[in-house]
Amino acid sequence: MLELIADPSFAASIPRFVTPILLAALGGALCERAGVFNIALEGFLLVGAFAAVLGAYFSGTPYIGALAAVAAGMALGLIFAEFNLRRGGDSIVVSIAINLLAAGLTTFFLRAIFDVTGAFSDPAIAGFAPVRLPLIEDIPWLGPILSGQSPLFYLALACVPFLHIFLARHRLGLRIRAAGENPQALRAGGVSPRRVQLLALVACGALCGLGGAQLSIANVNLFVENMSAGRGWIAVVAVLLTRGRPWPLFFIALLFGAVDSLSFRVQGLGLAQQFTDMMPYLATLIVLVALSWWRAKRTKGDAS
Amino acid sequence: MSNAKTISREALPWIFTILWIAAIILALLLFVGAPVGEALSGFWNGAFGGRRHAYLMATLSRSALIVGMAVSVMLSFRAGLFNIGGEGQLVAGGLTAALVAVLLPGPPMLVLAVAIASAMLAGALWALLAGILQLFMGVPLLVGSLLLNYPIRYIASYLVAHPFRDVQSGMVQSHLVPQETWLAYFPGTRLDMGILFTAVAAAFALVYSYWTVHGYHTRLNGLSPDFARTVGLPVRKLTLQTLALSGAIAGLVGAIAVFGIHHRYIDGMLVQPLYAWTGIIAVLLVGMVPWAVPISGFFFAAVQTGAAGMERAAGVPKEIALVVQAVIILFVASRVSGALSSSRGDGDGHA
Amino acid sequence: MQVALNNVTVRFGPVTAVDNVSLGIAPGEIHALVGENGAGKSTLMNALFGLVSLASGSISVDGAPCRWTLPQEAIARGLGMVHQHFMLQEHMTVLENIVLCAEPLGRFGFVDFARARARLDEIARTHGVKVDHDRLVGRLSVGERQAVEILKVLYREAELLILDEPTAVLTPQEKDRLFATLRSFRAAGKAIVLITHKLDEVMEIADRVSVMRAGHLVASSSLEDTSKEEIARGIVGGELPAPRTRRVQEPGAVVLAVDEIVVARRGRDVGPLSFQLRAGEIVGIAGVSGNGQSELVRALTGLAPAVSGSIALCGKDIVAFDVEARRRQGMSYIPEDRQRMGLALGASVSENAGAGHDDRNAFAAGPFLKHGAMADFARSLIERYRIRVAGPRAAAATMSGGNKQKLVVGRELSRNSPLVIAENPTWGVDIGAIDFIHGELMRMRDEGHAILLVSTELDEVIALSDRILVMYDGAIAGDVSGGEASRDRVGALMTSKSADALGKVA
Repeated sequence: MLELIADPSFAASIPRFVTPILLAALGGALCERAGVFNIALEGFLLVGAFAAVLGAYFSGTPYIGALAAVAAGMALGLIFAEFNLRRGGDSIVVSIAINLLAAGLTTFFLRAIFDVTGAFSDPAIAGFAPVRLPLIEDIPWLGPILSGQSPLFYLALACVPFLHIFLARHRLGLRIRAAGENPQALRAGGVSPRRVQLLALVACGALCGLGGAQLSIANVNLFVENMSAGRGWIAVVAVLLTRGRPWPLFFIALLFGAVDSLSFRVQGLGLAQQFTDMMPYLATLIVLVALSWWRAKRTKGDAS
Repeated sequence: MSNAKTISREALPWIFTILWIAAIILALLLFVGAPVGEALSGFWNGAFGGRRHAYLMATLSRSALIVGMAVSVMLSFRAGLFNIGGEGQLVAGGLTAALVAVLLPGPPMLVLAVAIASAMLAGALWALLAGILQLFMGVPLLVGSLLLNYPIRYIASYLVAHPFRDVQSGMVQSHLVPQETWLAYFPGTRLDMGILFTAVAAAFALVYSYWTVHGYHTRLNGLSPDFARTVGLPVRKLTLQTLALSGAIAGLVGAIAVFGIHHRYIDGMLVQPLYAWTGIIAVLLVGMVPWAVPISGFFFAAVQTGAAGMERAAGVPKEIALVVQAVIILFVASRVSGALSSSRGDGDGHA
Repeated sequence: MQVALNNVTVRFGPVTAVDNVSLGIAPGEIHALVGENGAGKSTLMNALFGLVSLASGSISVDGAPCRWTLPQEAIARGLGMVHQHFMLQEHMTVLENIVLCAEPLGRFGFVDFARARARLDEIARTHGVKVDHDRLVGRLSVGERQAVEILKVLYREAELLILDEPTAVLTPQEKDRLFATLRSFRAAGKAIVLITHKLDEVMEIADRVSVMRAGHLVASSSLEDTSKEEIARGIVGGELPAPRTRRVQEPGAVVLAVDEIVVARRGRDVGPLSFQLRAGEIVGIAGVSGNGQSELVRALTGLAPAVSGSIALCGKDIVAFDVEARRRQGMSYIPEDRQRMGLALGASVSENAGAGHDDRNAFAAGPFLKHGAMADFARSLIERYRIRVAGPRAAAATMSGGNKQKLVVGRELSRNSPLVIAENPTWGVDIGAIDFIHGELMRMRDEGHAILLVSTELDEVIALSDRILVMYDGAIAGDVSGGEASRDRVGALMTSKSADALGKVA
């Protein structure tokens, strides 16, 4: 086990797993802070992954692919807003529907456009090349983690402090927090909480879209049906656990990503694939239980 | 006059909703360049037609599972429990049913009965696990029940891939259950008797929801958990009992799928067709009204088999069914008000 | 700033909340707007503020007609409102709360907090209103929160201040401070509208008074030209109800004995509290809200566990009992929040009436419900408590606030339990329903039930209680017997930890 963790190629694979979860969770955090209960991150990721392949395939560059993913994510955010904010549908219901819609749209268009079922891979799908950081890549152990990753990883990293400052000091950040805590007060101040929530949803869509792009055109160069495979739900858990605060979110995403990456690694060690596949979800449950116990203990300590 | 006015005021939004949904379906059909007329007739035929109504029977067979899952989910949702782990409970039931039937010797009817009972027990236990996580370990039911879908899915996959695999078949699946335990077809059809189990479950859920003390208590808890606590209802006990009931019905559905349709456990057979999720949206479509749930479940089954018919007739990818279902839910969820949020209250009325 | 409302009408669906009201507000004047709950005062001011739209009529500021659809436009025009329920973000600092929606911007839309601090310092110098900028609002006292609300309005350079029931949550001392601030605003030439239903305050501070009843403006005159009695008659629309008489009776056996109970609370625990409640008496628990009353009630009803101590109901220790067992042992509870705790709004009247009663199997036959018996019972409550509702099958949400409360009160009192805990039982209900509910509680007392009345309405506590316990900062600050109760004595106890303050005031 220790050998495994010391293995540089294991370390280097962590960011691949962290990035989609982190991006989706940051998007979810914006919604959470704005008071939108968005548990459709799974669907957002999936649509992003598909749109990225679509864009990268037809344009021949991964950047257009990422842009397409952002656009598709934002569009899905608008759909969420339309049905949840404007038409007043229950957010859980809308989330479930959005997840199904994402699964449906991606499989439908997979067949309608590429005429395949299950998976689509083609050399024409332009993936992201790793970004090598000179000097940094020579640091032992840490080097391969920090260097040689997809641009989306660095973007995700940059988003963490940015989002922190944005929520603390930006006008929209302030209003997002207000919309989440006491929307009535925001309305009385003359700002429409719904509009703020709409912006949060669209930004969430953009971030999730990038997370999906990481899955399909950075980690691999193909699209597989349902390729988000529960990562959106793990991001939801990360958001709920941290109540949408960027820094704690970063560490939770790091943890989940590392487990994800670990489960991928230990497949080679003779453990049945089904058990390694299970690991991320069990780890998530364990973290949930551990954190809530820790919280209960702390409030008890507070009280006495 | 004013009556006609109110009717039009009530009906108009629904007409717009239907037009929207129709427009989206049409757009998708045009996108794939399908002949619309053939697609629609293919849909109708696929859902309700066929030689000696073979496709209608397929629809009914599918609704047996979807309605069953819908009933299971409805019991939880009405009690205010966002149990979206029906899939895991379904898999637990199906897996248990198949393994018990394969491994247990004895007279077939007894094996069948024991297998169904243990499937229900397995489903109930899996659901209870989510409840225990919520009540005693602070894991929200919504998240906990969902996350539990994955481990059981992989456990089942492992068991039929390794220890209990039917190796000769070359597929990831268990051995066939003894043929004597297979549910019989209705005479002259290819529809198995599994739907009778669903009918019983639905009837039970109806009586339970409208006429029993337990159903009344769980509904109060669903409408307002604070109120339920204040008037002294045993909320924790109700939660666990309701989840167990939900899980048992999901487990039963798993058993129906095994003994009625597949006659073994095949990896992914209960997950891929999204029975559990379809059941959830069938409940949401009708705002958790018990008597309407079976109708809604049948409707979604028809959408799915109809889409398959549309694929055969006009080359439209049958995945369109998922899109259509999602779109319907999106539009209808906002019209059926207060489906899940009734407990949030809506201020003092004016009377 | 001269503001005029001309023939303003506001409708909510079929209900006319404000009917053809014309009103003028002048600078340098404190204008009291009085009326009972639901008379349309708040709605009228919300209309002025752009929070609800006018069905007809117009608003003009300094002679120029204004038609705004957003509060932002009203704010820009110099209007400011301090809402009854504070519009604050508890998890934000004072500074963030003040600038929210009126943020001074620096680069790229980031907020220039330094500029905001400078302006607030200036306001503190001119008006003497100041709260530490960096404290979290969630940790402020109610009085401080109100100061934050006033700072918000001042920060936006408002010339017209509307204060909606500003004293409802204040101690008498905090109220005096507020009034001093308002007088300084008046001196500075600002126009002030004070929405209230407390006549003493009107007499104390207002220059002009307007009375609303059932959506109509029934009187508007300067304070010299009217009298307290005339205003009161205007509010209730006739003669005042006679003060309640109470039967003199000796309290009976101890029904509830609370001994040294401690309840957990964020920050500091509540308690230890000890008191006794006897049959045939009403014990009132007074205090500014948030001083541990709700924790006490939750511990008594079993909704929250007590950390330590014992509670005996009818001679039996019930600390280990859950809610159901306590109710069975002889407790009924009228919760403060009827919307959330008192009723399931989505369920029918009959289902609401039957809840908590079925423990006696009156409504059950085996596992099955007796719908007929439940409906009969609901009908009897509707009749007995004069609840205005379509029938037992109507949804609870369709009732007005007063009728909802009557249903809750009826359900709980009809259980005839030895102990009744009533928590703000008349909060937000109309005067007729208040009178009725008070009468019912009194009747229960006379019949020998023990009643614990927890209320932040001092008038209510004083009018009904045989004894008054005052809670302050999680402890019982004093025990005043009903006869000697006076506003000042209780008011002093509401703001101090020990009974020492008594000497100073009395």
